[in-house]
Amino acid sequence: MLTMLKDLRRLRREEGLARPHRGRSLAIRHVDAGSCNGCEHELTLASSPYYDLQRFGLGIVASPRHADVLLVTGAVTSNMRDALLVAYNAMPEPRRVAALGDCALGCNLLGTGADLVGPVEAVLPVDLRIPGCPPAPDAIAEALLRLIDSTDTLG
Amino acid sequence: MTDYRERVAAALEGGLRFAGLHASAGGAVVRALFVAPDGSLRLEDIAVERGAIPSIVDLAPAAAWDEREAADLYGLVFTGHEPLRPLVDHGGGNDRWTVRVAGADTYEIAVGPIHAGVIESGHFRFHVVGDRILQLDARLFYKHRGLERAAEGGSLEEGAAYVARACAACAVTNGVAYAHACEDALGLEPTAELARARTILLELERTWSHLNDIAAVCAGVGLAAGNNLFAALTERARRLNRELTGHRFLFGSVSVGGSALELGRDDVEAARAELDELRRRAASGWRELAFNSSFQDRLPDVGVVTAEDADRLGAVGPAARAAGRAEDVRSVSPRLAYDGFEPVVPERPAGDVQARLDPRALELWQSFELLDGLLARPVALAAATPTGRGREIGVGRVESPRGATCCVVERDGDRIERLRLRTGSYANWPVVAFAAADNLLPDFPLINKSFELCYACADR
Repeated sequence: MLTMLKDLRRLRREEGLARPHRGRSLAIRHVDAGSCNGCEHELTLASSPYYDLQRFGLGIVASPRHADVLLVTGAVTSNMRDALLVAYNAMPEPRRVAALGDCALGCNLLGTGADLVGPVEAVLPVDLRIPGCPPAPDAIAEALLRLIDSTDTLG
Repeated sequence: MTDYRERVAAALEGGLRFAGLHASAGGAVVRALFVAPDGSLRLEDIAVERGAIPSIVDLAPAAAWDEREAADLYGLVFTGHEPLRPLVDHGGGNDRWTVRVAGADTYEIAVGPIHAGVIESGHFRFHVVGDRILQLDARLFYKHRGLERAAEGGSLEEGAAYVARACAACAVTNGVAYAHACEDALGLEPTAELARARTILLELERTWSHLNDIAAVCAGVGLAAGNNLFAALTERARRLNRELTGHRFLFGSVSVGGSALELGRDDVEAARAELDELRRRAASGWRELAFNSSFQDRLPDVGVVTAEDADRLGAVGPAARAAGRAEDVRSVSPRLAYDGFEPVVPERPAGDVQARLDPRALELWQSFELLDGLLARPVALAAATPTGRGREIGVGRVESPRGATCCVVERDGDRIERLRLRTGSYANWPVVAFAAADNLLPDFPLINKSFELCYACADR
C-alpha cells in the first residue's frame, strides 16, 4: 500500500498542479441524457490525479438537491427527457445548466427523430457550453473554472 | 414454422452457440445468428407470418433480450416467449416490465435512471428482504437513439459514423466489427498490414479499458488509492492514443475497407517505450492490490455466475472466462493479426468478482506483449483487397474489452438495408442482473463494476 501512496505522491509532485486559490466552490450533478459514454469517461478522469478537479472546490454530488450546476451530457433522448426535467426541478435556486460535449450542444446529432428530443437547450436553458467530442478532462476543468470565475454570486 | 425451431435446436446440439437475433426487411424476416467453436457463423432465417414467429428462448435463453427488442421495434409476437416484457419501449407501468415479488417483508428499491456518480443512465429495480437481493430487474434503453434505424438507407461508408456513436468506450471494436461485416458483404479481404493496424487499435482500446476497469473495481470497494493510481494510468493510456491517432478514444481510425493509422519509426518506438512504462506501473499497482487484504477480502464469493449459468445466459468476454470458459474471439480471428492467440482464464475460475477482476490484469499483460510485437516496425496506411466473393449479408465478430461483439450488415448495393450491432455489453447485461440475485444490496456496485458494461452500446 505504501508503494502505491508513494507513487501517487510522486505523480502529484511531477505534475506540479497549481494550488487552489479561489476560495469558492460549485457542487455539480451530472446527468447523462443520452451520450455515447465518451463524455462520462473524460469527466471521470477530470477527478484523476492529473487534474484533481476537487482541489478547486468542484465536486460531483449525489443529489440534484445539493447541486449548483446540472452538467448534462448527450443529446436528450425521448426516454431521458422526463428524468432530466425531474432532476432540474429538484435543484435549489440559483442554479446553472452546463451542456457538456458536442451532442449536448446539438452538433452532428445522430439518431431518429422519434428517439431524440434534441440538444439540451431544447429542454432546459443552457448557461455554459463545453464543446468537444468528447471534451478532454483539462477542457472540462477549465470550462467549469470559468463558470466559478465569471460569477460573483450565482444570482 | 416449426422447421425454424428444429434448425435452431440442431445448431445448438451440434455445438454452435447463439450469437444474436434481429428482425429485418421491416419485420418480415427474423434472422438468428450462431457461432461454431472455430468462429464460423451460421444464420437461420424465418419468414414472419401474420406478425408472429415461434420463440427460441426456451432453446437459447440468451435470445431473451433480442426477441424483446425485435418485439418492441418491429411489433412482432414471439409465440412461446411468456411473458414477453417490453425492453426498448418504456410506455406503461412497472407491472409491464418487472417481475412481481411478494412475501413477508419484501419490498422494492428503485435506483436510477440518474445515478449518484458519473455513471450512464439506466434503471435498476431491486426486490429485497432486508439487505438481501431476491431479484433485480434492470431497465436500460434510456439512451436509445435509434442509431441502427437512422443509419439504414445511407451508404456503407456513412454507416461507420453511426456505429462509432454507439459507444466511445468500444469505438474501435464496434468500428472493426462493422468494417468486417461490410467487407464480408463486399467481398473484401484485409491485407496483412491492415490486419496489423486494426489489431494495434483494438489492443490500445483494451489497454485503456482494462486499466479503467481495475480503477472501477477499486472505486467499488472504496479503495481511493487504487482507484487513483489506475485512473492515472488510464489517463496516460488515453494520452498515448491521442499521440498515435490524434484522438483519445481513437475515433476516426477505422473505416470500411481501410485504416487511417500511420506510424513512423519514431512513433512506434515512443509508443513501445510508453507502453513498457505503463506495463511496469500497472504491474506494481496490481502487486499492491494483491497484498491489500481489506481489498481482496471483498472479492471472492460475491456475484457468482457458474460456468453452466454463463453458457445458458450467453455470457461473453472476461465474464465468461471468469467462469472457466476459455473463449475469446481473438483466437478465431483470421481477419486480424492474432496468430497463435491463446485465451486466458484465471487460476481460480469461480465466476465471482475476483475471477472477473483477475482476467483484466492477465489480459493487460497479454495486450502489452501483443502491442510490443505489433509495434516492432512502422505502420503504413492500408486498404482491403477484393476477393470477388460478395454477398447481401455480411457479419463481423470481434472481441471487445467486454466480450464478443457481433455486427450484421444487410445491403442493397452500397446502401445499408439493415444494421445490427450486438455488443459484448448487450450480451452480458442479463448476466449482471442474474449475478446480483441472492447477494447483499451494498455489494451490487461492486458486482456491477466487476462487469463494467457500457449502457450506450447496449442501448444504441
